[in-house]
Amino acid sequence: MKKDRWKQRITIYSFLACIVSMTMLIVIFPKEQISKAERRRLATRPQLAAESILDKSFMEDAEDYLLDHFPFREGLRRIKAQFAYHILKQKENNGIYVDGGYASRLEYPLNEASVVRMADKLVSLKYQYFPNENTWYAVIPDKNFFLAEPNGYPSMDYDRMLELLAQRLDSSGERFDYIDIAAGLEVDDYYHTDTHWRQERLLGTVAVVGEAMGINEALNLQESNFERHEIKDFYGVYYGQSALPMEPDTIVYLTNETTDAARVWNLEENLSKDGQVTMPEHAGAVWNPVYQTQKLEEPLCLDQYDVFLGGAASLQIIKSPKANTDRRLVIFRDSFTSSLAPLLLEAYSEITLIDLRYISTPLVGEYVNFEGADILFLYNTSIINNASMLK
Amino acid sequence: MLFSSISFLYFFLPLTLFLYFFVPQKGKNLVLLFMSVLFYAWGEPVYVLLMLAQIAVSFGLTGLMERYRGQRAAGIFYILSVLFPFLALFYFKYIAFFTDILFQVHIKTPALPIGISFYTFQIASYCIDVYHQRVPRQKNLITYAAYVTLFPQLVAGPIVRYREIEKTLTDGIDFSDIHMNFEKGIVRFVTGLGKKVLIANVLGAFVSEVAALGTRTVELSWAYAIAIALQIYFDFSGYSDMAIGLGELFGFQFPENFRHPFIAKSVREFWRRWHITLGAWFRDYVYIPMGGNRVGALRWMFNILVVWLFTGLWHGAGWNFIVWGLLFAVLLVIEKGVRSICRKRIDSGHYVTDIVKHIYVAVVIIISFLIFHNDSLMDALSDIAALVNRGNRIAFDGATLQVCAYLLRNRMGILLIGLFGATPAPLWIWKRLKTSLEKHRFGDVTVHLLQAVFAVGILVLCTAYLIDGSFNPFLYFRF
Repeated sequence: MKKDRWKQRITIYSFLACIVSMTMLIVIFPKEQISKAERRRLATRPQLAAESILDKSFMEDAEDYLLDHFPFREGLRRIKAQFAYHILKQKENNGIYVDGGYASRLEYPLNEASVVRMADKLVSLKYQYFPNENTWYAVIPDKNFFLAEPNGYPSMDYDRMLELLAQRLDSSGERFDYIDIAAGLEVDDYYHTDTHWRQERLLGTVAVVGEAMGINEALNLQESNFERHEIKDFYGVYYGQSALPMEPDTIVYLTNETTDAARVWNLEENLSKDGQVTMPEHAGAVWNPVYQTQKLEEPLCLDQYDVFLGGAASLQIIKSPKANTDRRLVIFRDSFTSSLAPLLLEAYSEITLIDLRYISTPLVGEYVNFEGADILFLYNTSIINNASMLK
Repeated sequence: MLFSSISFLYFFLPLTLFLYFFVPQKGKNLVLLFMSVLFYAWGEPVYVLLMLAQIAVSFGLTGLMERYRGQRAAGIFYILSVLFPFLALFYFKYIAFFTDILFQVHIKTPALPIGISFYTFQIASYCIDVYHQRVPRQKNLITYAAYVTLFPQLVAGPIVRYREIEKTLTDGIDFSDIHMNFEKGIVRFVTGLGKKVLIANVLGAFVSEVAALGTRTVELSWAYAIAIALQIYFDFSGYSDMAIGLGELFGFQFPENFRHPFIAKSVREFWRRWHITLGAWFRDYVYIPMGGNRVGALRWMFNILVVWLFTGLWHGAGWNFIVWGLLFAVLLVIEKGVRSICRKRIDSGHYVTDIVKHIYVAVVIIISFLIFHNDSLMDALSDIAALVNRGNRIAFDGATLQVCAYLLRNRMGILLIGLFGATPAPLWIWKRLKTSLEKHRFGDVTVHLLQAVFAVGILVLCTAYLIDGSFNPFLYFRF
């Protein structure tokens, strides 16, 4: 009926206006290179070619590009998160839950095969590279260790993980000494919005490690020994993934004369395009400070946690000229160690950090001298539960 | 191209609407054809040629059929016109399965072209109807091609017959009702989009989570089975709603494909409410030509068996689909037998009888969709056994029990929304609200405003889900 037309136009025009305006915004909206909230690079414009059309990769890439560059993307992701939490009454969004102001990723069940694989990796490394050196291992609990059970979320069986790890290492006949750091940690020792622990709350943990490794005499872990520096508005990895409203954290990093004097050599930064590596002892090697605040100025900086040793790297060597000993330490590690290692610099003149997610085991021997060094395996539970990522 | 994709919602749809409404009536079918081919080629850049070849061949053969009508040659062209699309379907969908079970020969066939089962049935129905003079042959190749390729229903139905949209295709869009149809189409489209993105996809994520567990509790096994049935329903009926809604935007009236199937009180009723256009196709082109129910009891049972074997096979070349189809055949025969013995008691309308009938259909649906969902019969049997606390899927260790309880709690909201949304209750509530609002002075405007808010709100929410999530498969594309 004619008289009803204007009313029907309310829906029609609203819908069409919504679609057309969004289409126009998609076209004219400035395109970002990275999503800081999700910590990833966004898809680039797909290249149109006969081959990419026939194998459908152009269409798939185009869909990804449109999804990544949609206007008001973060706002829309927040709407989705709120709908999932409040209307669908989900306990998590994208596998992240928030409880007591802390965001954590669900990680379950325990992958026993992965724990065995991890133990076997440790044993094979010891056989291959440091059969006679003192070797310790410690496990960093993820936030679920503190948050999951009391709040009704599923988690790994942490006791079983440690038991399995110990059994497997003991049965190898090699000596691995376990350092229990979990007992001294609590959820407040972690960032609210991020997976990592907070350096300014690690002094007790370092003391436990130092006690076990016999280096405490060389360490001064009094808070007064350090100067605190703050980086405000740190939105951690879980903030972006959960898309839920959370207050930002503050990164605090601790410096003293020893950390100021120390320098970090990084394999990736000393690798030329033709594959040549400038080793630390060679002229022309690139050295960086322990706390790399310049990283925060980079436009493509995805993670402010990179301030600690410059972020992810396959192999790093830290030289500490003001150390109280000439001992050397090799740590097989993940990203948690980036904030812990600087606190050990008073006790070691050289700390080598090896991240087996980025460098394969056979290559390690080409760059690292294990002889006479202390060896520490320091991994968080999530890595142990997904040990296949270690090369 | 998926309806629930950014490329469709914000590029393809507005562009197609713009072109369709701004070209003169004569050019509309050409616009539809061009855009539909583009729509299909976005997902099948190679097999689009197969579809176009099928259109050309069936158009040519029906032309020859008409030319030689009354002669023996017409029959030959008729057989060829039906055989050709079915041979292509058989090659892509069934040849590997049948050579395997008949000759134990494993042959590798290319991936199944998207929507081939749907457009094959449309082409076949057109050729059969033209031969039997139920519809006039379409003499314009563009119009005929627009019918087969019509993007709203091309890849996942509903199976639209030529006679159902012939008028719009030949006479053009009727502008007298355009506002009403357009508004209805928008609401229907976003309803389907919401069913797909906000309900089916979320249920699908739950189904994947539970499937990954391996073992589970009885409670979670039931929730899993219910989630599978609901996911399939919301996925497919959501797509049908989107197709019908899009059809209305372009002036077409597509047949209904779902009418709240989960409220059925018998399997017979369920199939009158579920995938209606497929059931009608088999009824009109297989069951009735075989004699339907106007034959002896044994022959009738045979007819039922054949139709449901085909229905199962239509959904996929696998033993689970065959068993799934035959299960319904057996149940339909049993239902008819029971009804003939105690019709009065069954149709008494007493609430206890109705509750028993609802429970019977619910159990049948849940079990049948477990068979439908699983890739192998053994997996389906394990899932069914888990419903009664038997078999290798039952969880015993504390950690798994904790995970099961969590998964159930975490997805209880979507399960309840799904169960509620599968009933006619939401529609009933909206109608009541509408009637009550319309009694007031500005009630009519409020109703339209609410519809606008609903349309835009669901569109924004679905966009948010698409941007944030990657779980967006269409289950019926594989058919």
